[in-house]
Amino acid sequence: MRRALITVAVAVLAAAAVVTAGVAKTVELAAPAKTCTNASLGLAAPVTGPAAAIGQEQLHWAELGLARYNTEHKTTYKMVVGDTQLPNVAAAINVARQFASNKKIVGVAGPAGSQEVQAFGPSMTKPGIGYVSMSATRDDLTNGQRPTFFRVVGSDDTQGAVDARYALRTLKADKIVVINDGSSYSVGLAARFANVAHILGADIDLDEITQQQTDFSPLVDKIGNDVDLVFIAFQIASQGQTFAQQMRAKGKSAIIFGPDGLFSSDFTFEGAYVSAFARDIHGVKGTAALIKAYEKKYGKFGTFGPPTYVAVQVVLGAIDRACQAGAATRKTVLAQIKKTNLKNTILGQGIRFDANGDVLGGVFYIYRIVNGKYQLVFPK
Amino acid sequence: MDWTRFFNVLIDGIQLGSVYALIALGYTMVYGILKLLNFAHGDIYMIGAFIGFGVLTFFGGPLSPNLPLAPLLILMFVVAMLGSGLLGVAVERFAYRPLRDAPRIAPLISALGVAFFLENSALLLFGSQYRQYNGFDLIGTGGFFIGSVKITWINLLVVSSAAALMVALMLLVARTKLGKAMRATSFDREAAAMQGIDIDRVIVWTFFIGSALAGAAGVMAGLAYSSIYHFMGFTAGLKGFAAAVVGGIGSIPGAMAGGLLIGLAESFTAGYMNGTWKDAVTFSILVLVMLVRPTGLFGKPEIQKV
Repeated sequence: MRRALITVAVAVLAAAAVVTAGVAKTVELAAPAKTCTNASLGLAAPVTGPAAAIGQEQLHWAELGLARYNTEHKTTYKMVVGDTQLPNVAAAINVARQFASNKKIVGVAGPAGSQEVQAFGPSMTKPGIGYVSMSATRDDLTNGQRPTFFRVVGSDDTQGAVDARYALRTLKADKIVVINDGSSYSVGLAARFANVAHILGADIDLDEITQQQTDFSPLVDKIGNDVDLVFIAFQIASQGQTFAQQMRAKGKSAIIFGPDGLFSSDFTFEGAYVSAFARDIHGVKGTAALIKAYEKKYGKFGTFGPPTYVAVQVVLGAIDRACQAGAATRKTVLAQIKKTNLKNTILGQGIRFDANGDVLGGVFYIYRIVNGKYQLVFPK
Repeated sequence: MDWTRFFNVLIDGIQLGSVYALIALGYTMVYGILKLLNFAHGDIYMIGAFIGFGVLTFFGGPLSPNLPLAPLLILMFVVAMLGSGLLGVAVERFAYRPLRDAPRIAPLISALGVAFFLENSALLLFGSQYRQYNGFDLIGTGGFFIGSVKITWINLLVVSSAAALMVALMLLVARTKLGKAMRATSFDREAAAMQGIDIDRVIVWTFFIGSALAGAAGVMAGLAYSSIYHFMGFTAGLKGFAAAVVGGIGSIPGAMAGGLLIGLAESFTAGYMNGTWKDAVTFSILVLVMLVRPTGLFGKPEIQKV
């Protein structure tokens, strides 16, 4: 009887876990209007959850982008916000379905994470909704299987190579441990980094964690004192911070190097290196007034927000052009997104897409954390 | 064989096992007295972690605490244990006591309901972001060496506090009047009542003590592993439950041994194989023990009278 009770209990718990994973929260900022100029933009971002630090920044930049666009173009477009709760893929699937069933949404900015883009694919492709990610970098997202997907940032093909070259040529790391967190973003990026570093002559060890893990001590024990650098291809910045702290506590002195997923106020490990798909826009010409407006309303920001502003610009521009040509439908907006040609943006570069939805000329930057602040070290 | 690495992994396993053992004790105490699997127990551990974090934040946070370290740590533990203990008592009073004479499946479902209620309440109250104890900023990364093996202050704090709490519990159960009443109630609730033991009082104390231990485990996990979040009790609760079952549910020494075994298994799996395998290994141990010794390592077979 007791064994049967325990067995039933374990089964019920497992089922409950699966059901809970599907819970999603969608926040609607304003009801979509009926006219062409009131067509709605969908914003998919991790507004809550472990990646909320970046999601909130993305939401705020999207709000600013929408408000500015409406003011400058005398339009009244609305935005529907879907909370994807990265890394909760079930929540992303729910948001995608809600967007697809909301006929007022004719284009989407987001989602943020690579696994979310994969989750969005089926719901976006069938109704032909164009969706423009502001931070999904996994290389194969633009392999032709998602014909309505675009991104305004470079891919991990570039990021992995840039990071590996910097690790070997500038930081002179010969022995490197590469760790992924099991997410589709992380696995691809870690593999790309490891491949390039291996080709360049580094001795590579690979390992893996899960995104629920908080105890990295046994993994840290495995990392020898002769290791020069640990590349933690994590998506959740707080995990990176915990890992780095546990490295320090164990007396390991290897350099910590992370990708764009760690570029957040949750990751402030002194001396660590972090790459980013966008530069700090404080130095970009013509952004001073925008930065002032943002900081006045929302406070400080990192590099996840400005690409969201640009993604919103891309989608709203496409809606506007489709409207002027007759009607803003999902089909016409998608066609206009493909034709995007922004000469200059707050990212300091123009935006055009190749046939697979990749931005032309995507660049990655590398920062070092000094006194708790991110300092650009590459390119100088 | 790299013995330094071996002993480092061993220490990590003992630390993790200490946390699991404290959680397992709550499961096993409640099961021993009520024959109830209290699946809300993992979430009481989570609430304990958040209470400890609340105290830490109230006193300035890990980087600039405005209390000396020792009183701050004691306060974190005491408040978390009190808060968790009282929460456990409230859960027993409102979710389990009305179902005490109902079929056994009813309180089990109620326990799951309480678990989800606590998880979602925490989500609403604290948000879904990971919160950082930053235990290494608070306590420091220092420690001492035995040979080439480093034992950090956090290792020492977690293992020694867990051991002290377990010894205190053993003494309480073995040498106090309340402990004697607990043992009697566990042995035969009706007979104990006929001997004049206040069963309700014993059950309330059992929930209080078990939940307080889980609260302490929550603070330890926060200090040692830094990140806490609203869903952390689910996995930890399952591990604690597995530890209690492996050790022999209802047995206090069994819960301690089960916790250590699960912690060591996880640590050695992550340290010598791959971290992603550790849950598979943990639950394989559970299945294996159930197959070979269904009563668990320290459990005794129930005698069915006919």
